Amino acid sequence: MIGGKTAFASGVLLALAGGWLAFPRILYETRPQPVNFSHKVHAEKAGAKCEDCHSFRDDGTYAGIPTLDKCSGCHTAAMGTTAEEKSFIDQYVTPNREPQWLSYAQQPENVYFSHIAHVKLGHLKCEQCHGNKGGTGTLRPYQWDPISGYSRDIWGRTLAPVALRTEGGMKMDDCVDCHRRQGLEYSCLGCHK
Amino acid sequence: MTTTRRNLLKFVGGGAAGALLTPAPWRLITDTALWSENWPGIPRPARGEIRARFTHCTLCPAGCAVRARCVNGQPVSLAGVKPHPISHGALCPWGIAGHHLPYHPARVRQGPVKEALAAVARALSQRGAGERVAVLDLRPGRTVSWTYRRAMAAMDGGLYLTPHQPAYAIDLAAAQTVVSFGAPLFDGWGTPGNVFAARANFRLVQIEPVETRTAALADVWLPIRPGTETAMAAALAGEITIAETARATGVEEEAIGALKEAIAGGPAVVLAADSASPLMSLNGKLHALGHTVVARREAPVPEAWKKAAPATEVIAAPDRAIRVLLIDESLPGGYVRWQEIQPKLAANAVVVVFSSTSEGYARHAQYVLPAPVYPEAAEDVGLAIDTVAAVFRIAAPLVAPVVPVVNPGELVARIAGLPQADPLRERANAIYKAGRGTLLSYADGKSTPAKEVTADDFWKTLNQGGCWMDDSGKNAAPGKLEFRAAGEPPRDDLPLTVVVAEMRRDGLESPLMSKLERESNLRLSANRVAISPADAHANGIENGGRCVLETACGRLNVVATIDAGVPAGVVEISRGPRMADLCGASQRARVVRA
Repeated sequence: MIGGKTAFASGVLLALAGGWLAFPRILYETRPQPVNFSHKVHAEKAGAKCEDCHSFRDDGTYAGIPTLDKCSGCHTAAMGTTAEEKSFIDQYVTPNREPQWLSYAQQPENVYFSHIAHVKLGHLKCEQCHGNKGGTGTLRPYQWDPISGYSRDIWGRTLAPVALRTEGGMKMDDCVDCHRRQGLEYSCLGCHK
Repeated sequence: MTTTRRNLLKFVGGGAAGALLTPAPWRLITDTALWSENWPGIPRPARGEIRARFTHCTLCPAGCAVRARCVNGQPVSLAGVKPHPISHGALCPWGIAGHHLPYHPARVRQGPVKEALAAVARALSQRGAGERVAVLDLRPGRTVSWTYRRAMAAMDGGLYLTPHQPAYAIDLAAAQTVVSFGAPLFDGWGTPGNVFAARANFRLVQIEPVETRTAALADVWLPIRPGTETAMAAALAGEITIAETARATGVEEEAIGALKEAIAGGPAVVLAADSASPLMSLNGKLHALGHTVVARREAPVPEAWKKAAPATEVIAAPDRAIRVLLIDESLPGGYVRWQEIQPKLAANAVVVVFSSTSEGYARHAQYVLPAPVYPEAAEDVGLAIDTVAAVFRIAAPLVAPVVPVVNPGELVARIAGLPQADPLRERANAIYKAGRGTLLSYADGKSTPAKEVTADDFWKTLNQGGCWMDDSGKNAAPGKLEFRAAGEPPRDDLPLTVVVAEMRRDGLESPLMSKLERESNLRLSANRVAISPADAHANGIENGGRCVLETACGRLNVVATIDAGVPAGVVEISRGPRMADLCGASQRARVVRA
């Protein structure tokens, strides 16, 4: 009798350990960003503001991650003597090659998201969806789910199917939850045009 | 603990139970669903820079302003432009799905261009005395229309043919009462955004036998007995008494009296489904001319263009005289029944059609040449019936032509030997030189007097989807209005009155729209008719059954929809080219079991 219970409990424990500890490591593939960019250095030393690089165009569309032109505006030559700076100049600025940034927040193709509607009209802060990136000294590794093809940030840091806090992800449920909390309209065609 | 079969099963059972308490199975279910969305073969737009571009829709003469969301330069979704003074940010369902059209599977993809040119040259050189060459322009009022007119003026015996074109525009904003004899005011008439912007200020009285979508949204729907609209018009003109009208039309005397009072109370306008209908002459009797029915205005054209061939209605062309007929069907527009065109053709006429669909005149032409579709070509739009001020807007192309296409204007100019030029640029220069009007730029929403910008900026803004709008002058009365005689008298063997339920746009429709329409049957599709249960029962027709629609012009195999909303004695049709050929002038029909 005891042997049977132990076997069952062992199975449960093994599955729990595998599901909570091993599964996330197996599920996500970690990829480095092309450049070890520091938001903190740019904010503190260069006095840059978020919108200096992540700007809206005249037509209202959002420029997203800045292109090399923006970086080259200041980094025509190495600014400082760090190895990262030298590598950035040699690998990207001098050969005029765009860094292939990995976007943590890249949404599926069937999603229409308007930054200008949320930031200018809804007065949302960037941090609310993207977290506090402005004060980070280095870019954290990009974690990619090869089955779904999306970043871990879309799902959210927690893997639990039922989360205590709804914030932290960028899934459809997260958008709907936020709209519901704010008493805002939400419908299929709002995002899936 | 010994390893027994029972313990092993318990261990596996425990593992399964434990796994349910972890994220793994739940997450794998979601991931698998997402993975299936990205299987190879599922169309996916390219990732890339997202930009907004502006243009104008050319799917109908309304020319609504369009904001295209483009990824890597490829349009992925279309929306209206809010500050536009005519379209007011609205787009119809066809306009919203317009960027699908270049990839339509049924599009005409190739055509015998060299053979067509050789046949035209041969026919022109061999034509006998009195034989003519003609261009049929289904969307007059564009810059390319002026090219056709100039080309026909340059050719010996050239004729510039058009469908019936109203010489007036309707100023809905000036109307207090709109009396509509079956005009689909809220279902594709005029410029949708303009109609809805003016809606709050007018009262709509819809007079038609069937409760169409417009009738359902009207302030008053008067369900008139089919074919008695002329009697109602006579009553409104004061030519017959209300009691007589009520007896003839089946509409209550109080309703007719109230309508007469409303018309007398303020500016009114009468609309008919067909702009050539004699019912439109009622506007003259209601003193609407110069107030709500006004003279059409056109944007300036270069002085040299004014020696162009005049517009002639097909019906007015000489019989058996046209040796070469070139038909521009590249944009959906008016449709002239083939039965009206055929008698005008000489015995060995050459007919060339520029089209993207094989449904329209391609059925009758010897040569079908692939034409560009929206939004592939740079062209101006023309004028809608509710556009009062003169406007000039260019449909800036959003994609390069997907198949090798022929530009109809360039080819006709080449046949006529006109010098190579850019007519759009010449027209824009003429408008700029006129020194009046306002230039609207959609990207920044700015409105600037045309005389305050340079000629280059004027042209650049127009090509970036801007719009020139003339100063709002005083409304003038239109010239002489010409109408066609009413349809044929009732025939005993054709007991049903034809009512057009859907004013279908000729030409391609997005496959998405076709799917919604044809599979859901929400709108009457091209091969369907709707009849009342009583008529269906009398003829042994079942819902969805195959039957034959017969008119004085011929027969067509159709599918029947039995609709209790259709009154007895009426057959509802959807007006495509085949139906127009069959029912164009005929208002009487019968439906029999196939």
